[in-house]
Amino acid sequence: MNSLRTLLKKREMTSFFFLILLFAVVGCINPAFLAVSNIAACFNSSVVFVIISVGMAFTIMVGEIDVSVGSCLGMTAVVVGSMICNGASWAVAFAVGILIGIIVGCINGFGVAIMKAPSLIFTLGVNGILRGLMFIYTNGADVNNIPKSFKDISAKALPGIKITYYFIAALILTIIIHLLLTKTRKGRYVKAVGDNADGAKLVGIDPVKTKFLSYIICAVMASIAGILFCSRIGIVTTSSGNGYEMTAVAACVLGGISLTGGVGSVIGSAIGAVIMSSISYLLVFMGFSSNYNDAITGSILIVIVVVDSVMQIRSRLKLRHERLQARTRDDMVTEGENA
Amino acid sequence: MMSGNVSSENKNKLKAKLNWNWFLIAVILIEILIFGVTNPKFLNVSSMFRSMNDFVPIGIIGIFVTLVMITGGIDIQAGSIVGLTSIIIGVAWQDWGLNIWAAVALAVVIAILCGILTGFFIAYCGVQAMVATLGGSFLYAGLALMVSTMSNTPSYMGITNFPDAFRAMTKFKIGKISPGPAIVFLIVAVIMGIVLHKTKYGRKIFLVGVNPNAGSFSGINTKRVVLSTYVLSAIGAAIAGIVLTSYYNIAKSDLGSTFTMNIITVVVLGGTLSTGGKGNVLGTVLATIIIGLIKFGLPLCFGINAQYLDAPIGILLVVVLLGRALMVHPAFVNYRAKCKSRRQKAAA
Repeated sequence: MNSLRTLLKKREMTSFFFLILLFAVVGCINPAFLAVSNIAACFNSSVVFVIISVGMAFTIMVGEIDVSVGSCLGMTAVVVGSMICNGASWAVAFAVGILIGIIVGCINGFGVAIMKAPSLIFTLGVNGILRGLMFIYTNGADVNNIPKSFKDISAKALPGIKITYYFIAALILTIIIHLLLTKTRKGRYVKAVGDNADGAKLVGIDPVKTKFLSYIICAVMASIAGILFCSRIGIVTTSSGNGYEMTAVAACVLGGISLTGGVGSVIGSAIGAVIMSSISYLLVFMGFSSNYNDAITGSILIVIVVVDSVMQIRSRLKLRHERLQARTRDDMVTEGENA
Repeated sequence: MMSGNVSSENKNKLKAKLNWNWFLIAVILIEILIFGVTNPKFLNVSSMFRSMNDFVPIGIIGIFVTLVMITGGIDIQAGSIVGLTSIIIGVAWQDWGLNIWAAVALAVVIAILCGILTGFFIAYCGVQAMVATLGGSFLYAGLALMVSTMSNTPSYMGITNFPDAFRAMTKFKIGKISPGPAIVFLIVAVIMGIVLHKTKYGRKIFLVGVNPNAGSFSGINTKRVVLSTYVLSAIGAAIAGIVLTSYYNIAKSDLGSTFTMNIITVVVLGGTLSTGGKGNVLGTVLATIIIGLIKFGLPLCFGINAQYLDAPIGILLVVVLLGRALMVHPAFVNYRAKCKSRRQKAAA
């Protein structure tokens, strides 16, 4: 158990070191990058991704996946944005936004946890439905006259280090969720179910309920991200949030969460999200055009998962070899005693 | 006793498979009936073909992705390879001065390399198919964008004005109908149907999907079989890219970026299990026709904006999945068994 914990710690530490290494390399190439404002900008621009990746981490840690978060984010952003534009009170708009998240989470949870439909494909379908509903709701138009007062909150930052309050809030949220997941009994259910659903059932954990709740949390986080998106970007189109689900999955993988479930932490996925959203910013400082963005993101993702997977296979083979050797040694000892 | 059980089970399975394809055929007929009654223009064969041709590339990829899914994997990078193929044909022909057929060959070779790369990671390095192809979809879309910047034409405009011989490959007409892409689709379907259902290689694909360990113990190089399915799906994406480029006379880097959900939908609707081991080409073909007709019929007969069509297709996918999940759900299976025993008791 102890060694397992250090291993888990190592997984998120690796991605943290990778982030620092990334910053250092870019700093070496272009020293102008190493200004407080630039590094703060990397963190600030990642707020939306951090929130959806933390939500996504839940579904991946229980051994499923949710690729409807992109459209859930877009749907919430469209509804909340248009409500605020039409003069609804913010509290009501936010409540409606969160409600959308809860409904989407319930649909996904019903399909995957209760009906046991394959999660990737089911949520892909829900993603399509939500995207279609977005078109129907907006009639294809953009939501672009969002009040300035709402947009301005996103720019408010701590004086001196220039980190926005949004990022600080996201950071605190991530840490609270991390503590809840690691220090409380109910929180540990999530990884237990992801690691071995049948085993969890035997010790009295309800995997269906845990998965259902994970989906609701994931969708609600996507809705929160949608509200932040609305405030940060200030314009919502019908394609807003399109493809964010893949970025969030990539962020989780970069943060050391295994897609087979049961391994990883939300801190890791938050770091992964910062890496994912910083890449395009870093490329500018390295003198590349932003056209290279996808290719470099994809290469990093592939390299990391391949190295991780090969190392895991190696360690498994080594363990098996050691076990075999230990067993044969025991046999020899007992044979010797018998003789 | 045992053997009797097994053979009846097999018979049931066969029946279920046939039932599903008959169900798909019935859906197609109902669609034609409803759309045809609502708007007789729907039955105009030439416009029907024109609309189906927009959708056929997705079916072409779907047929190959069926093989991937039968092995228990998934492929979400095919859409990116479509764009990569298309833009390579365009740039190689226009800016590098290659002969158009050489450009096509180059694009196919690069697509195969893409498939080998991802397939290698999945089969030999043990990376989950979902993550590897996710990385692949980023990487190949990025590569496509990079290739498009090598051209003098801005990437948002797309490269156009291809030679007539290349365009005639899919844009020819028989009477009023232009069936080019549909013919390619049919040829691909027949070839892959034979490969999957009538050859040794096809049996190996099924066995790998049912139980890879049993496969490797019985002397099958399971890793190579898995790798080959990803290469095939990349080839499928390349074919779709070529067809699209030729049919629309335009090469763009983001040509297939919206395909992923549609590809998965046709494969799953066609009766292929995402857990592997079960599936057939005919189902995918029928599912392609169903979705193609929806995409043609809903805007024409009910005036639904084509942009909204994600919703009905998503609903279709979700309903099929829920229905299929219900059929194998333990609670429902128990309930049915109970009903059956009660009926037998009543009969006795």
